[in-house]
Amino acid sequence: MKKSFDETIFEEANSWLKSNQKVILATVIQTWGSSPRQIGSRMIVNEKGDFSGSVSGGCVESNVIKECLELIKNNNPFKKIEFKVSNENAWDVGLSCGGEIIIYIEQINS
Amino acid sequence: MKIEILKEIIKKNSSKEQFAVLTNITNGNSEIFELGKPLSKEFENYKKEIENYYNLKKNGIIKETQIFIHNHIKPIEVIIVGAVHIAQYLIDFIKNLNFVITIIDPRKYFTSEQRFKNVKIINEWPKEVFKKIETSSSTALIVLTHDPKIDDPALQHALKNNFFYIGALGSKKTHTDRCQRLKEAGFNEEEIATIHGPIGIKLGGKSAPEIALSIVAQLVSETHKL
Repeated sequence: MKKSFDETIFEEANSWLKSNQKVILATVIQTWGSSPRQIGSRMIVNEKGDFSGSVSGGCVESNVIKECLELIKNNNPFKKIEFKVSNENAWDVGLSCGGEIIIYIEQINS
Repeated sequence: MKIEILKEIIKKNSSKEQFAVLTNITNGNSEIFELGKPLSKEFENYKKEIENYYNLKKNGIIKETQIFIHNHIKPIEVIIVGAVHIAQYLIDFIKNLNFVITIIDPRKYFTSEQRFKNVKIINEWPKEVFKKIETSSSTALIVLTHDPKIDDPALQHALKNNFFYIGALGSKKTHTDRCQRLKEAGFNEEEIATIHGPIGIKLGGKSAPEIALSIVAQLVSETHKL
């Protein structure tokens, strides 16, 4: 049986929305090779750049947050972002584990 | 995702039934899927594939479509017999995991609300409780009183109903005596061996929170074998 032990992110998103913040939901929708978090892992980001949850083990979060802020700024409803193996520069965003992931980011709106 | 969908997800999560969230990744439209309920035009052509992923509890982009499915799985029922000190730490550790807990203890002084906030407590003898509540092979039982009057009827019920996890607190000697009693009650060795006793993985600690942690670790590990 596949279990999800991590389903409180929606409550948190709702409480952010109640305080009139714009909220973006980021979800891992596809993975190849070894990826740090499984499909369905979620993260939320608000317009201030605060975030909760995770879509990787800290490898690509900063980039996802940047993309989410961009999405809010341009008022786009959603976007698909792909991350591949990182190059040798350790400060580059990417997955050092050698995997690939696709993250779907979407605005939560009325 | 529309805020209405988000609110429905929260509501459905608390109803503790399985459902799935569908997202068309080409336009951002989402919808909630439940077995037997009709789908909107956007998704109805893929009903068969959606049901297939739902039944397998599989998350991902459905093959040859642009639909992402995310399953919300029913939490596992855990019954704790004995509202003792360790139970308080168990509740603490379990609260971040997707389990639903019921505590049974006929001893009123143990089950005060001040000791157990926001937990379902049944203040009756296990034998009576199991006549009333529904259990299945995906229920877990943790007995903590090491009092045969309280623990044994619960263990017997769990063995008869093939609970996926049965753990019993007590020393090796307590456990040997317990196994003997179950044998006399008609259970065979194979059945009795499914009880995790002494309970928990080997951590080495003897304090209440450490024992609770070793029990939760064992419970989670058995849950993933389901």
